[in-house]
Amino acid sequence: MAAESKGCKGLFDEVIDAGLCTLCGACTGRCPYLAYYQGRIALLDNCTRIDEAQCYDYCPRTHIDMNAISQKIFGVQYSDGEIGNTKEVLIARSTDANITEKAQYGGVVTTLLSLALDEGFIEGAILTKTSDGKTPSPFLAQAVNDILQCAGSSYMACPVLERYNQIPEDNSDKLGIVAMPCQVLAVAKMKANPPANRASIDNIRLVIGLFCTWALSPQNFYQFLKENLDLSEVKKFDIPPPPANRFDIFTASSKTSFPLEKIRKFTMPTCAYCLDMTSEFADISVGSVEDIEGWNTVIVRTKIGAELMEMAKKKGKLQIDKLPSASLAHLKEASLLKKKRALNEIIKRSGDRNNLIYVGLSTKLAEKILE
Amino acid sequence: MANIEIDAPGTSQLFIGNEAIARGALEAGIGFAAAYPGTPSSEILGSLAQIAKKMNIYAEWSINEKVAMEAAAGASYAGIRSLAAMKQNGINVVSDFLANLVMSGTGKGGLVLVSCDDPSAISSSNEQDTRPIAKWLDIPLVEPGDFQEAKDMTKWLFDLAEELGTLCMLRSVTRIAHARGNVKLGELPNKQQKAYFEQIHDLKNVMPTRYIPIPSPVRHLFLHAKMDKALEKFESSLFNRYIGPDRADLLIITCGSCWLYSQDAIEALKLRDRVGILKLGTLWPLPEKFVMEHLNKSDKVLFVEEIDPFLERSVMELGGSFPPKAIRPTFYGKRSGHINAYGELNPDMVIKAVSTILGLTYKARDADYGKKAEAVAKSNVPERSMTFCAGCPHRATFWSIKNALKLDGHDGVVTGDIGCYSMALGPAGFFQVRTMHCMGAGVGVANGLGKLGQFGFNQPVLAVVGDSTFYHATIPALINGIYNQSNFILIILDNSATAMTGFQPHPGTGMTAMGEPTKVISMEALCRSLGARVEVCDPFDLNNTTAILLEMMAEGGGAKVAIMRRQCELVRAKKEKPPYKVRVDAERCIGEACGCDRLCTRIFLCPGLIWDKKTGKSKVDEVICNGCGVCVDVCPQGAIIKEAA
Ligand SMILES: Cc1cc2nc3c(=O)[nH]c(=O)nc-3n(C[C@H](O)[C@H](O)[C@H](O)COP(=O)(O)OP(=O)(O)OC[C@H]3O[C@@H](n4cnc5c(N)ncnc54)[C@H](O)[C@@H]3O)c2cc1C
Ligand code: SF4
Ligand code: SF4
Repeated sequence: MAAESKGCKGLFDEVIDAGLCTLCGACTGRCPYLAYYQGRIALLDNCTRIDEAQCYDYCPRTHIDMNAISQKIFGVQYSDGEIGNTKEVLIARSTDANITEKAQYGGVVTTLLSLALDEGFIEGAILTKTSDGKTPSPFLAQAVNDILQCAGSSYMACPVLERYNQIPEDNSDKLGIVAMPCQVLAVAKMKANPPANRASIDNIRLVIGLFCTWALSPQNFYQFLKENLDLSEVKKFDIPPPPANRFDIFTASSKTSFPLEKIRKFTMPTCAYCLDMTSEFADISVGSVEDIEGWNTVIVRTKIGAELMEMAKKKGKLQIDKLPSASLAHLKEASLLKKKRALNEIIKRSGDRNNLIYVGLSTKLAEKILE
Repeated sequence: MANIEIDAPGTSQLFIGNEAIARGALEAGIGFAAAYPGTPSSEILGSLAQIAKKMNIYAEWSINEKVAMEAAAGASYAGIRSLAAMKQNGINVVSDFLANLVMSGTGKGGLVLVSCDDPSAISSSNEQDTRPIAKWLDIPLVEPGDFQEAKDMTKWLFDLAEELGTLCMLRSVTRIAHARGNVKLGELPNKQQKAYFEQIHDLKNVMPTRYIPIPSPVRHLFLHAKMDKALEKFESSLFNRYIGPDRADLLIITCGSCWLYSQDAIEALKLRDRVGILKLGTLWPLPEKFVMEHLNKSDKVLFVEEIDPFLERSVMELGGSFPPKAIRPTFYGKRSGHINAYGELNPDMVIKAVSTILGLTYKARDADYGKKAEAVAKSNVPERSMTFCAGCPHRATFWSIKNALKLDGHDGVVTGDIGCYSMALGPAGFFQVRTMHCMGAGVGVANGLGKLGQFGFNQPVLAVVGDSTFYHATIPALINGIYNQSNFILIILDNSATAMTGFQPHPGTGMTAMGEPTKVISMEALCRSLGARVEVCDPFDLNNTTAILLEMMAEGGGAKVAIMRRQCELVRAKKEKPPYKVRVDAERCIGEACGCDRLCTRIFLCPGLIWDKKTGKSKVDEVICNGCGVCVDVCPQGAIIKEAA
């Protein structure tokens, strides 16, 4: 990696204490000094590896050379498109009622994972499981039923990558992972420069990225939920696509809505500095579709992603259609807007148009986004 | 331990000072002895307890020093000669009772208090000279200068105590208490003791006239009369003596172990005919006439005593009684800076002081003798830092405390206490402990911290005490915390032993000092009965212990108790084989690499693990490893492997 490593001291100075941590979990799970606990990364003791440390290296909020990573994942320079490198943008939904009943929207994520597992393409998947208390935690699913258990979105950040780090070094199971854009970025950093003393990053065969505008802080938001609801009754959370502007909470029999304004104060501060809405380094990215309830927007980005989609179509697991061109335009617009906003925030913070903090973009591309 | 009960008058036995004191008590016809363990005093009761049944006496490890002293006073009221022994800190614990006892007086059986001071605080939290308490309590005080005196003085002190009807105190220090020397035995008494508390029985209801401190002014007057009587005896006591020329260039006034150091110094300097030594055995009331007589011997006087300038100040107070035209000697000692007013002394220090005063150029040793000696000594023993034993449950507990505090992230505070676990101030306990004072103080301090919510305080407070300390001094503070809803967690490190002082039983062990089984006072039942939430954890289960601590911290709302229960490794290892055979898989160990940075041998620091610089891997030191297997759960690489042994 081009940038120098600065150890966990650097990680705390530049990321954690700077309020930029995404809680992705890339630094926890294997390191005995760093641990995730209730929405925080804690330092348990002093590590002396100031010059060479993987926590610093793989953090999605330390320097990222976008071109180098793009080269590794797609074999080309970082795309200047609004939604990254794409092969195809579609809409899809599961044909399995068991899945659509539990899934967030069209159940594409759950369907693709189940298929990949059934076909032996992967042997397990690192997902996010929401507890009865409605706190999300990383989970390694090894059966179709496990995958189904994880369907539906928790909008609180969850240290998914911690679960990968915990896999024993000598384990060679092929894995899938479902991750937020920041987490996909960390996986891409690992793919570009494989970690030592952990299970091989090449075991991760399938990266499904989710769309994300922002995530909520497990600390503050959980507190808010607890104070306002009986969490044991909650069945589903949803942020319906614009222009709804609501945060919905469903129980078996009722729905409570909060205006997004009320929720936004619980977002992770780091999300304001995030350029990626569509998980640009994933094999397949999945989100909602405006105006078409019960379906997903699907961006197919890699060969593996395309093969899996093809197989799902052939086996009748997914019903696939075209994304209306107006919707695609809106998606691109929203994605570009996120990039713009983030770059402006970053420049505001650094005080220097040439200092994009962690984002390694060419000046030309940065200027193009800011236009 | 030596046979202190051997019935061979006239023969010599090798005793440590504490055994000599115990023997003296036996020869005095003691019937009752009580103590709380504390270095360097523990072997006094330890040796009496061992032979108690055989000698038909009673000995107990009391819950604390105050109860020990009170129990001994009770026995004396019923006519039984009794003794209480403690280390310097115990004197502080018992002082309120003592200040009343001197007014009320003791019973027909004499009552003796033995206080063992620990100069340099080798096994203590503090350094403290307990002699001054005799002055402010108005009680006779003696200090033996060797092992024979330790025995003889104890015996004699019982007679004095009985005659005066007041508490008498014997002070000893580590180098008398724990060094060994020849003691010529005296007779053991052969009389059956009968205990009876005499009362006034008439038909009028009257207040008792004994064993109460009131009316205090009158009692105080009586006390002074008793002290006058003691002074009379001290003036002619053979425990005070002078050796040296009639006129000396320098007069050393000394007592206790410093008597031996002073003799060694004069011997080494070959100054026997120039320097005199006035050795005092009866220190308070100061035998003024005797001292004044000897002050004439020289115009230079050096005080050699361990810790405070007790004799120095007492003698200087005599200044007013000097005859009008007398030439006042120049006084040297702690005030002049010739002798340290802290720490242990040794013959070298005395040599240095004498040489400076007399202008001699004698060099006790090469300038770097100390360093050389240390090097030689070190070459014979492997270097080891102060730490918990391999397999000690305390290390595991502090690991969980550390991790729980860091995970919790509210900058929690650990208040500490006195015991092996005081080492948790340093690397042994990962530097977690923030305060340390006397026994039980950590919980008291926690009481205060836990009530600061109204001032914005939200740091969790954990008070750590040992099991023996819990019974000794913690219960009132816990009750206070529960009653006043102070927010802290009392963590009891229950290793079922008073490990630091030599495994004396305590109320949680179910065994008395005399080896008889008794009722266990269950600490969890006790705490639960007070209404506290109580959790019992196995400290070796790091995950569960950490989780419970985290949960208790998050819960807040008043005082709670977490009991960390695991037998002291020293006790376990005596009875059983190690549970596991533990080894490091060199293939998996990543040593200093990222992902470990040798957590086990740099932070966890169990002495059973060693860092092999050559291979860059950790390994198990099979001689030291006790096979507890805790490091298996500490290693982030799964490189430490345990197999059932
Ligand atoms: C924090 C968050 C913000 C999002 N923001 C947007 C947005 O702005 N626009 C948009 O179009 N879509 C957003 N999504 C994605 C959307 O909610 C759906 O997850 C996505 O459309 C897939 O739908 P599905 O029916 O295929 O999901 P399902 O088949 O139900 O699968 C959902 C998957 O999401 C994973 N998951 C759940 N919670 C988390 C979490 N906290 N972190 C990581 N993975 C998780 C689970 O492992 C599960 O496999 C967001 C998701 C999250 C978690
Ligand atoms: S963003 Fe991820 S890698 Fe960076 S500090 Fe936070 S949890 Fe660790
Ligand atoms: S903790 Fe484990 S990996 Fe680290 S040095 Fe010790 S044995 Fe090796």
